[in-house]
Amino acid sequence: MQPIISFQQYGFKYKNQSEPTLKEITLDIYPGEKIWIAGPSGSGKSTLAHCINGLIPFTYGGETSGSLKIAGQNPSESSIFKLSRTVGTILQDQDSQFVGLTVAEDTAFVMENKAMPRPQMKREVAASLNRVDMLEYAEHSPYELSGGQKQSVSLAGVLSTDAEVLLFDEPLANLDPASGRKAMQLIDDIHRQSQKTVIIIEHRVEDVLQQPVDRIVLMNEGRIAAIGTPDEILSSGVLHGFGLRPPLYVDALRYAGVPLEGVSGLRLPQRLDIPDLKEKLDHWCETCGDVSDRKTAAPLLEVKGLNFGYEAEHPVIKDVSLRIGAGEIVALLGNNGAGKSTLSQLITGILKPQSGELRYDGQDIGSWSIRRRGEAIGYVMQNPNRMITQHMIADEVGLGLKARGVPAAEIKRRAEDALKVCGLFPFRNWPVSALSYGQKKRLSIASILVLEPKLILLDEPTAGQDYRHYKEFMDFIASLAGQGIGFLLITHDMYLALEYAVRAVVLSGGRVIAEDAVAQVLSDPAVTEAAHLKETSLSLFAKANGLASPERFVQAFINAEKKGKGHE
Amino acid sequence: MNRTGSLYAPGNSLFHRLDGAVKLVLFMAWTVMTYMFLDLRVFVPMLVVGIALLVTAGIPFRRMAFLFWLMIIFTVLNSIFIVLITPTFATRLTGTDTPVIPLGYNTINSETLFYVLTLSAKYLTLLPITILCIFTTQPSAFAASLNRIGVPYKIAYAVSIALRYIPDLTEEFRSTLNSMQARGMGISKEDGSIAQRIRNLAAVVVPVLQSALHRIDSVTNAMELRGFGTQKRRTWYSGKDMEPLDWTMAVLAVVLLAAGIWLKVQVLRGFWYPFS
Repeated sequence: MQPIISFQQYGFKYKNQSEPTLKEITLDIYPGEKIWIAGPSGSGKSTLAHCINGLIPFTYGGETSGSLKIAGQNPSESSIFKLSRTVGTILQDQDSQFVGLTVAEDTAFVMENKAMPRPQMKREVAASLNRVDMLEYAEHSPYELSGGQKQSVSLAGVLSTDAEVLLFDEPLANLDPASGRKAMQLIDDIHRQSQKTVIIIEHRVEDVLQQPVDRIVLMNEGRIAAIGTPDEILSSGVLHGFGLRPPLYVDALRYAGVPLEGVSGLRLPQRLDIPDLKEKLDHWCETCGDVSDRKTAAPLLEVKGLNFGYEAEHPVIKDVSLRIGAGEIVALLGNNGAGKSTLSQLITGILKPQSGELRYDGQDIGSWSIRRRGEAIGYVMQNPNRMITQHMIADEVGLGLKARGVPAAEIKRRAEDALKVCGLFPFRNWPVSALSYGQKKRLSIASILVLEPKLILLDEPTAGQDYRHYKEFMDFIASLAGQGIGFLLITHDMYLALEYAVRAVVLSGGRVIAEDAVAQVLSDPAVTEAAHLKETSLSLFAKANGLASPERFVQAFINAEKKGKGHE
Repeated sequence: MNRTGSLYAPGNSLFHRLDGAVKLVLFMAWTVMTYMFLDLRVFVPMLVVGIALLVTAGIPFRRMAFLFWLMIIFTVLNSIFIVLITPTFATRLTGTDTPVIPLGYNTINSETLFYVLTLSAKYLTLLPITILCIFTTQPSAFAASLNRIGVPYKIAYAVSIALRYIPDLTEEFRSTLNSMQARGMGISKEDGSIAQRIRNLAAVVVPVLQSALHRIDSVTNAMELRGFGTQKRRTWYSGKDMEPLDWTMAVLAVVLLAAGIWLKVQVLRGFWYPFS
């Protein structure tokens, strides 16, 4: 069989870079295959995707070496439009991908560009939307759709082109766990029904593996580091070495000392055929699964019976109460639209509640202005680029103090302290643009820390970061918590909550539907379903293998992870 | 503005059904008519027709209130200033002077009062048609009809794509501003002097602009990957074909305009003042 995509000793160097981004890539992808390209950020996996869909060389120029053939043709002798008939791409950013003002218009976009007559277009749009089950939303605007629905619309648009290859660039970014699972399911359904070649670029391992893939291509530093079936890759234990996180239960097995060589069926949290597995794991749970006694910290922020609605008859926050102690990390979980961001705006004072009480350090802060609250409760946005306004790092950190009329000498001292805490002191005289994304993220923390708040709200702190950077950043946050700063993590990332938060507060429809230890909350199917979360693979795995106590299994894993951190 | 970023108010009136380009033709003909004359006998019928069309369109008043009051206030202020600053202005047009209200420094004459009435009617004539065009046209359908009357499709599509992303940008702007406010660089009273607050506002523009540029980059990629701009022509999902109604209205607009020009040249040359 002829490969539909064939890289032979292929290399690529961007025009303005000195080092090639792709080196000696040799990879044949055959029609009908489902391939997953994985790797940490900077591994070259996005560049590889650009080579396949024609953004390289048509949008991003550079030098190539070796050969690349797509459907038997050299892409540089084709055009981006001709290539799009073979390779349909679905981009990571659903909002950029969605260019139409309504669902139907967006689906029609490719047909419009092909100058298809309108009556035929209407028929095909309806047929495509029907395939992804979005027909009833045809006249909806993108603002009325969830991330997962937008992605389905993108898929409908690509399906209508009859492209033989479907290329998904980080399809799970920005999706909550439940929508992510649906997206993977939809991709798999399309793959099986249409026999198209599917290529998925992702770094979230466990989520991709919910559906079968034929081969995993691991990229690292511009090269292909390994190719294999999910079982081969998972049992060999190479993922950690490439900054990727294996499914949690696979790590748990490793922590428990279960040898995995040659084990099959690791892709899903299911019953494994390993002799004495249950006994070994139960023993591990027994010895390592103790809940470390939680100190009850003095409450720092108390929210009591908060109610809010933009219009009085439509409340979006209903009788919400929660508390965060000094040095505690609390996770605020919930799906999009559950009221997470509204609640954070109520805490920072951007919105005023209709009723309820906010106490900080024992004082009622209901009458405090946004500015005054900002000195007590810091708010860090998801994307650091949205917060940074200054050219130089030291200026950015000192900005909040300058606005408060603090003398220059004190600004300098406090800014330097904050930079030291965040590990950015050596860069203090650098321009902001010289920092990496992860460093900018720290900078945005430093510029909040300088105001010496005792509580910080972090909005989706790890979104868009691969496992290595995620871990680095969150360990840093944990160390700040160790110094007594309280954190509220606003997130739909369950693992983040599981590993770093002591407690989780789950919002759904503006109400708190659960508040408990994270492992407890995430083992409750009623809660996880209402909040678009998933039951953790750990507890699913424990149940599938008949372990005595799934909760202890989850706890043993968390304890082992924490111990691991100490060794690093 | 609704969340789709357009001002479109759905409905099924005559104006809703009209093609976007025909509406543009009507609007231009209407505007030319208005600016040609200074004659209440022309404006009153136009106002009556305009208001009748506006009422039948069924646009909720809430939606157009801002534009409506803006125009009314502008017209009233304009009239007051004319009367106070040049109380006998219309004498230059009519050659007569009928003093009515003494002001001390001068006396307002009835010619000027009538002139101000005519002028207000003139401005207000534009109000219903402007509101109609803005509120009854779907942006993408408008892009389609612009393309049909000869505007290159890349330019026509720019209208549609701008409307698509303006709400995203305003949302980003607002959230950045909020986070700045918490750091003490907001734009409310307690954040310092007016100059300081303007500087704070300007600082927010930096990250928002950066993110807009980034957005443009990825939207461009998405559009290119979906074949935008490769063919000489494109079709439009949201457009519709010209129907007899559209042709009728377009022809009507041209005929009325021609009649107007004839009137202007032959009959109603200047300012109409009935009392001299």
